Parts: sequence; C-alpha cells; structure tokens
Amino acid sequence: MADGEKKRAINRLKTMYPLRALVDGMYERAVEASKEGKPVAWCMVNWWGGDAVLRAMEVAAIYPEDYGAVCAAFGTAPTYLAQSDSDGFPSHMCGYARNCLGYAARMKDLGEIPPEAPMGGMPKPTLLLSSGYFCDTRYKWFQALGRYLDAPVWVLEMPHPGVKESRMEGVREHNIKFLVEELREFIAFLENLLGKKMDRDRLAEIIDDTIEMNRVWHEVNELRKARPCPMHSRDFWSSMPASLYMAADPKVTADLYRQMYDEAKSMVDNHIGAVEEEKYRLAFAELPPWHSLGFFNQLAERGWNFVIESWAYHPPKPIDLSKVSDPLERVANLTYQYFSGYFEDAFNTGDWWGYFAHPYLEFVREYQCDGIMLHPLLTCRTATNHLMVVQDQLMTKLKVPSLIIEGDIVDLNLFDPADALRKAETFEETMSHYQKVRKEAGLAW
Amino acid sequence: MVTGKINHTEILSVAEAGLSKTKQIYQDRTRRVKELKAEGKKVIGYLDIYPVLEMLTALDLVPYRILGDMREPITKADTCLPTVVCPFLRSVMDLGLKGKYNFLDGVVMAHGCEVSEKTAHIWRTYLNPSYAHFIDTPHTTHAAAQRQHKELLKDFKRTLESFTGKELSIEKLKEAIKIHNEQRALVRELYDLKKPDPPLISGVETLQVMVALASLPVAEGNELLRQVISEVKQRKDGPAKKPARLLVWGSIIDDIALIDMMESIGADVVMDDTVLGSRAYFSPVALTADPLDGLAHRYLVELKSPRTFRETVLSETKRKDYMTDLENRFGYLKDYAREWKVNGVILQALRYCDIHGYEVPGLKDYLASIGLPSIYLEHDYSEAALAQLRTRVQAFLEVIS
Repeated sequence: MADGEKKRAINRLKTMYPLRALVDGMYERAVEASKEGKPVAWCMVNWWGGDAVLRAMEVAAIYPEDYGAVCAAFGTAPTYLAQSDSDGFPSHMCGYARNCLGYAARMKDLGEIPPEAPMGGMPKPTLLLSSGYFCDTRYKWFQALGRYLDAPVWVLEMPHPGVKESRMEGVREHNIKFLVEELREFIAFLENLLGKKMDRDRLAEIIDDTIEMNRVWHEVNELRKARPCPMHSRDFWSSMPASLYMAADPKVTADLYRQMYDEAKSMVDNHIGAVEEEKYRLAFAELPPWHSLGFFNQLAERGWNFVIESWAYHPPKPIDLSKVSDPLERVANLTYQYFSGYFEDAFNTGDWWGYFAHPYLEFVREYQCDGIMLHPLLTCRTATNHLMVVQDQLMTKLKVPSLIIEGDIVDLNLFDPADALRKAETFEETMSHYQKVRKEAGLAW
Repeated sequence: MVTGKINHTEILSVAEAGLSKTKQIYQDRTRRVKELKAEGKKVIGYLDIYPVLEMLTALDLVPYRILGDMREPITKADTCLPTVVCPFLRSVMDLGLKGKYNFLDGVVMAHGCEVSEKTAHIWRTYLNPSYAHFIDTPHTTHAAAQRQHKELLKDFKRTLESFTGKELSIEKLKEAIKIHNEQRALVRELYDLKKPDPPLISGVETLQVMVALASLPVAEGNELLRQVISEVKQRKDGPAKKPARLLVWGSIIDDIALIDMMESIGADVVMDDTVLGSRAYFSPVALTADPLDGLAHRYLVELKSPRTFRETVLSETKRKDYMTDLENRFGYLKDYAREWKVNGVILQALRYCDIHGYEVPGLKDYLASIGLPSIYLEHDYSEAALAQLRTRVQAFLEVIS
C-alpha cells in the first residue's frame, strides 16, 4: 500500500476481476457479433439448459437482468425507468424490466443502441429467450417487449418442484421429462429460426463443462464457512454472473473459478478475512441495491462481513450425474437439482412454505451468521414474498435477528443509504445480544 | 351428487328465488356450504380459476371459491405476506388467519400467478388444512407443457382419491364435466341478457350471481342460474338505458363496490373479462375419451388469461409483427365489444399485479387500433380508493358519451 493511500475496507479477491470482466465483455462481444450478422439472444437466467443450447448454436447471449444491474451501477437506469413509466407500464413493476423496456423504447426511437448505454449496450436481438420459473415478470416482460422489438419469444418452461407434491412417487421423473422435452422443443424452434442444425457433440461438451463449472463455483463458496470468511458478498455478486448468465465458454469460466478457489483457500489457510477485523458475520437476502454498493464498504469498516447470500444466486449443490448419459437429461438434472437441492431440509421437516425460506436456516447455521440483512424490493414480489417468514424462522429456530432495509435493485430513489446506516448501527447491539442468547441456548456460535 | 337435475327443495334454505336469493348468498356466502357440511359433505376451498373443479365435483366434494373481503382491514396477514404483493391475496390470507375459512375441509390452489403460488404454500404452512394440493400449472401451451399438465392432474387425482378414500372413475368425471359445462352454457345465456340496450341485467347483479356461483355446489348453481335467467327475462324493472356501455377488464373483482360506482354515474357494465366473470366460464371442456385430456387442455390452453404465454405465429421472415401479436392475444375482446355493443373499456388492475400490469400498454394500443377508448385504473382493493377512481371514471365517461 502506497503512503497516504486509504486502506480498503474490503479485501477484494484479485481473481474476482477476470470473472467480472468476462461478464462485462459479453455486451461488446454481442455488439460485434451483431455487426457481423450473427444471431444475438436476449435471455433470462434459465439455469443452463437454454444457455448451453444457444452456445452450441453459436448465438451470442446477453442478459437484460444483468444489464439492469449494470445500468443501475452506471447511473443510466433513471432515463430508462422514466421512459417505461411514460409508456404506461406501472411503476410498481420490476426495476430490471422497466429499465429494459425503457431501453428498448429508446433504441427503437433512435434506430440504434442509445449512445449513453453502458458497456457498449445491448444490440437488437434475433430472439428473446424467456423463462417460466420464479416470477411472472420473467416472461411477461419479454412479451411486452413486442411493443419495441420484432424478435420472437421462446418461454422455456420449468416446473416449481419445491413443494410437497414434488415428493410424490413419479413426480421427479415427469418433471425431468418435462424439462428435457422443453429443451427439445426449444432446439426445434431455434433450428427453424436460424435455418441450421445444432451440433449435438458440441452441446454435450458445453453441458459437461457447465456441470464442472458449477461444481468448482460451489467449492469456492464452501470455503466461506471459515472464520474469518475470505470472500465478501461484494465479490460474490461480482463473480456470480459468470455462472448464472453463462457469460463465456464454461470451460474458461471454470478455470477462473479454480483460480478463485486457490486464492480463497490460501486466505483461509493464512487466516486472512475479507474484512480486517470480522466482528459480525452476516447473510444477505435477496438482491442488493446495485446503485449503492459502496454502502457495504461503510459496514465493512465497522467489522461487518457478509459471508453468504440467498441460495437463488448460488450454484446447485453438486450431484452425481455419471449414470445419466443423455446430455439434455444431464443438464435437466442439474437444473432440477438447483430447483430442489436446497430444500431437502424443508422437506424433511414438512416445512412446505420453507421450500423458499428454508435454505436461509441452513446457510445461517452453516456459515455461523450473527444476523441477516433482508432487502425487500419494492418492485419485486419474488425477492420479497418470503422475507417475513425468513425473519420469523431465523429468530424462532436459531435466535438470529434480521435487519430490514427496504430498497430496490435499480431505482435509486427507493433506497436511503444514510437511514440504512443508522439502522445498521443500532442493529449491532441486537446482534451482540443474540450472540449471548445463542450461547445460553447451546447453539454452536 | 353429480347430476344436472335436482329437486328444488334440495337447494338453498332460503325462500326466495332468483335475484333476491342471489343477493342473499352474496351477502352471506358461507351459509349454504356450512349447511352442507353439517349434512356430512366435505367442502374444498379453491383459489383462482386453475384448480380443476370437475375432479372435486366427481368425488362429491363441494368446491368453494376462496375470495377476499375488501371491506375488512388487513390486520393479520402482515406476519406472512409483505405489503408489496397483491392486496387481494393479502386479504385472502388475512381472512384465513382470522379463522374465516376454518369450515373448509381442505384446499386446492394452483400456479395462477407467482404470488398465488406462494400463497398456496403459506396457507398450507400457517393453516395446516387436513387436505391441501398445489397444481403447478405450466405457463405456456407448448406440447410438452400440455403433457406435463395432464401429469399434474394425475397427481391431483391421486391425492384426492387418498383424501376421500374413493376412486375417481372416468364415468364420474365425465358426468362432472357435463354438469360444469352446463353451468358454463348457462352463464353464457346470462351474459346474453346483457346484449340488449339497455341490458336486462346490471353489472352489479351479474357480479352478485357470479359470487353466488362461486359459493354453491355446481348443480345448485345451475338451478340458481335458471331461476335468475327466467326472472330477468320476465321482469319489467331492469337497468335503465345509459350512454356508456362498458367492458371491464383485468384483476379479480369480488365486491360490487367498483361496478356499482361505475353504474351509478352513467354507465352500464355490460361485459367483463375478469376471473370471477366471463374469463372463468366462457371456455367449455371438450368431452374426450380420457376426460383428463379435455380438462388438461381446457385449463391450460382454452382459458384466456394473461398468465399463460401464447407466442404469435411468425411472419415469412421469421419476425414477429406487433399488431398481429396483439390480435392473437386480445382478439376475443374485439368480439366481446362488437357483440355487447361496448363503447368504452375500463382496464383495472390491483396494485402489484404483474400479470395484468405488463398487458396495459399493449392492450391500450390494441383497443385504440379498433377504435375503442380505454382508461387504466390501478387500485389497492379497498373502499377508500373509490372516491378518486370515481372522478377518473366520470371524466372518461364524459369523453366516450
């Protein structure tokens, strides 16, 4: 550290930067592809099956959900939000969606990528790949884009297996079959749209690399159980898109995650934490205020280390797929493992609503958290629905308190960092109190 | 009992027939099902229009639609559903937590929307019903989705059979489909009475009928419909002719307040596209060799709701044409407007209803393209907001009249 240089509150992992660059670069790569006349897809997160098919068909994929976070971080989101509002989309709807609708409207008006668009912008798509999983927005948004774009939409269907019914005999089998058949229908749609056949050997290779990429990424996050935790949530949020959005060849991404594993392991072995003096270990739910991430540096200065986040952005728990030979079945099983693997504990205790909230119990217990910051998003039902149950269950079962900070992923006006910091200061006393309560209750941390 | 013919003495324990009976049921929805429960029948609550009711009826279970109460303050639901989700579903959950649905023997809910999916699980966790089933209704009409939907109905059949200890036979299911289709045809006949100018039955009365149907076994509902249709055709004191004939589209309306407000300021609500109105009834079930085929198809493909994605056939250049897409999604509204001589459309949605919210600009574009003026109202499922909405509707009526 040079003389006079202020020490950073969070030790950022050096291996995070190439992962972030991989994601940042996908926009410019898509613009280049578009200029060369190659197909471009705007995609929702689809848990790897659709991504693998697109990559095998040499379609450049970009992700408007990620681009919403980019526009929020770069400060261009307000322009697009205002455009969406003026076009009549209700302002309580998803910030990512409104950002994208506003962006598409502006691109249509200008006839080109808006000049202020960060990271090179999103080029006009050949198709839109949507998803039926998680929230209604993730397919209604792309349907609504028809107002500005003439790209066809394909909605990749996925079951919601995290419920009691999913434990019935034969249900897993018909759900996997559904996922495979959906991928087959998507391939047929894509082959017809693009007028070429898919390279099935290439698809198999990409799927195998994707399985391995997620395995390594899972191992990285396992290291974060160490005290002090070597990786702050800020690094997680910078690194997760490489997996979640399949920003590049998964073989390349897997190598970068291996490098990250090595760095984090070295820190664990040498007792180096992401925060200099780790006083409090916290979990975070759900998505952060992308426009105000500096807020976490202020908390880090107070000894707050965010050691785990919502399961929804984590890779699936590793699963043995060695006996599954068909590539589509392999990736369908991986996707299904993501949808169900985190809920085993909930199933075993009959906590059916817990299928969404229960993973927090497991995370908070295993990562030994002193508290959790809940971030209800005023424009996102999916990220908010279950938070009251999370709060209730963490306190009832683990004596871990919650700090609720309302905000939004994109809309800066809905988040007040000064007020949040005041609440956080007070919350330290609460966390300290419950450290004693847990000790008295015989809990492990 | 699965039959289209019932003895008049079997039905409701109120003396009057037709509209006055309807009004009584509207005001006291639970009375009849509590009587039936006392007689040993099992009452199954359901949410939205995606649970397959024929399967309940075939097993002699009484389907009872779970609705909210916009006149009751939400005081309990805050513990399990945040304020930024559908206020109707918050009301539903609130009533459940207050014990207002304790008479139910079980519930069946489906993936009608994202929050209703979560409500299904919250209900099961917090209210612990002795029977609960969730149908994960797919979101598209893909061939794979239709096959999956049939598999889901087979799962539903298994839990129902386990709950009742009875076999759900093909014959019983076919009988149930017939009687539910009969109800759908009668509702169509009822709505036909709204085509004349002035309409023979008001929007408020129609909604009361629909709420009553959602509160009765299907056979009794059919009998009630016959009585109402007969009475309305004969009466001389129906609604007056008004300058505006409205179609109301959007989120659920289960209280007459909103419609009453519109009809009190110069409009007849002659048609609707809502889940307690035409949307729930206008699509019959095809009678197929395996009745689950017809049911799976009707409840996924035939029901016209924005929660199910339908992609438009692409042009020769494999691009999507916006107006063709709108025609594909909303063309049936043009038919409604023509047949019911509509001269204005109210688009209304509950705050935080994403399913309907995303449709608004596109639907307004479509309505404008066919020369129909429209206005969008957003509300929070409370009486308090009506005054402000009244001013906006009044201004709209002045424009279209």
